Amino acid sequence: MNSKVVFGQYYHTSSWLHRLDPRTKMVGIFLLIISLFLLENIYWLLGAFALIMALILSSRIPFGKFLNSLKMMTTLLLITVFFQLLFNRGTNYKEFHFTLSFFNLLIIITLLVLFFLSRKIIRKHRFFLFLLVVVFSFFLQTVLTSEPVLAQYSLRFYEDGLYTSFKIVMRIVSLILISALLTLTTKPTDLNIAMEKLARPLKYIGIKVSILSMMISIALRFIPTLINEAGRILKAQASRGTDFKEGKFHEKVTQIISLLVPMFVISYRRAYDLADAMEARGYIPESERTTISLLKFRFVDYISLVLVVLILTSLIVLKVMGYAI
Amino acid sequence: MGINFSKVNFSYFRVRKKQKPNYILKDIDLSISEQDEFIAIVGHTGSGKSTIVQLMNALLQPTSGSLSIFGKEITNKTILKPIRKRVGLVFQFPEYQIFEETVLKDIAFGPKNFGIEDPEGKAREVAGIMGITDLLDRSPFTLSGGQLRKVAISGILASNPDILILDEPSVGLDPLTKSELMDLLKKLHDDYHKTIIIITHDMEVVSKYCQRVIVLKKGEKIFDGAMKDLFAHDDLYEDYHLNYPETVRILKAVNEHFHLHLDTNKHSLTEAYQEIVQAWGKKYEQ
Repeated sequence: MNSKVVFGQYYHTSSWLHRLDPRTKMVGIFLLIISLFLLENIYWLLGAFALIMALILSSRIPFGKFLNSLKMMTTLLLITVFFQLLFNRGTNYKEFHFTLSFFNLLIIITLLVLFFLSRKIIRKHRFFLFLLVVVFSFFLQTVLTSEPVLAQYSLRFYEDGLYTSFKIVMRIVSLILISALLTLTTKPTDLNIAMEKLARPLKYIGIKVSILSMMISIALRFIPTLINEAGRILKAQASRGTDFKEGKFHEKVTQIISLLVPMFVISYRRAYDLADAMEARGYIPESERTTISLLKFRFVDYISLVLVVLILTSLIVLKVMGYAI
Repeated sequence: MGINFSKVNFSYFRVRKKQKPNYILKDIDLSISEQDEFIAIVGHTGSGKSTIVQLMNALLQPTSGSLSIFGKEITNKTILKPIRKRVGLVFQFPEYQIFEETVLKDIAFGPKNFGIEDPEGKAREVAGIMGITDLLDRSPFTLSGGQLRKVAISGILASNPDILILDEPSVGLDPLTKSELMDLLKKLHDDYHKTIIIITHDMEVVSKYCQRVIVLKKGEKIFDGAMKDLFAHDDLYEDYHLNYPETVRILKAVNEHFHLHLDTNKHSLTEAYQEIVQAWGKKYEQ
């Protein structure tokens, strides 16, 4: 099997963001996230969003990659919006009247059945299709009001709720996009090196940063290997008749053990081998080590850091002075 | 019956319409009978050998084309357990799949899963055939590599499959254990009429044990026929990236050195010896 599982989502292009020192990126994005939380006003949030979009464009990474990281949060966002709209009560609201008539119910049920039946035919964008069905069924209830009527109800959508939910969505989306920007433009190993360098002062309070970072990088390195290994064991046990889909509970437990025990054995073996190999190459845990990839601050790094610090401080100053930002 | 491939293509990744598909296996037609075959699958690294045996065990499904195992078409809906019971697959380095606390329990794991009656009795029987009865009560984690390999193979054999597939069974074993293992496989083939399929790089093994050879190259089947027909081929190295077994090489060297016309396609020392003696006799008569 030679399917390579790559941990992390690094996407290679040759943009200035990729070439930026990982330390700059980490610190910079951390500061930008703090700034994002200082913003309250909707226009300022839009401005921040525009800035992030500009950064994304300049990274020359296809936008689909960013959408992927947003995808997981869609459900959460939609639920947030829904509840904000209904329960964040203010003075201004718009009331919608819905009528659930017999025909409506019939059409809605047919639509839902069609949606579930189309599972095999339409596989992509299921979620959006579902949303469409839901929205359409509510729309139907405002339009089609013929007899026999089963129920009538009305929902109030509050203006304040609309604003708050929009702000929340903007903030979460910006947050996700900007952290995706970090992981997409920086290799996990580079992130680790940056972390090690940034955490260096901790050694004065007795934390062994180099050992910690070595542990992290080994863990990162072995995730794909172990995933491959698990796939192999899974297949080997499947050919001995384990079936992870079917079976009673106690059978499933044995099947999971049949995967776990070999995985433990393999991990320990690998750990011992790796320890021997590292020792043979002269690794001494607490000695001073040099890294193969030297990080170097360049002009762009200084500029970007200064800019980010400027953004944060000016926001803080504005906030302290009482401006509504 | 047995295993039938017809126009099977396989790719590990989902094939997109616009892209030129990158198949690991291309257009494989193959038919394997359910008993009395001893087949070697050979080929360069990355030629799709391991993939093809995983298809035979229904661990993978063909991307296109049809694959039927014991008369059952393999699709997403096929119930695979009965198929896997009849086709046993021993992976490369099978010792890693062992997990129970005693050897006996581990060998009985397969039969137990397949719902075979008296799994432990079956395990003891197989252990007798494999010659590891003395290990049954030990913990598998105290055994040596060769012993573990035998335990793992016993674990597959215990479900009594009709077709036994082994992915490079002899890699990493010492010469003695290796020939013991191969003799065992031969015994299973001769006495129990099982079909044995092995993946190997070792032409000596092919020459000594196998009747039929399938050669894969970059996912395509480029040779499928009797072992003797393969080694009768003149440019094995050029065409298939394979080497000749030792006896054939010796006979070829003798031919070249003494300008004889020996039949080089001999696969045991006795046969090769007789060939040389006969030719020598003829030369003296002249």
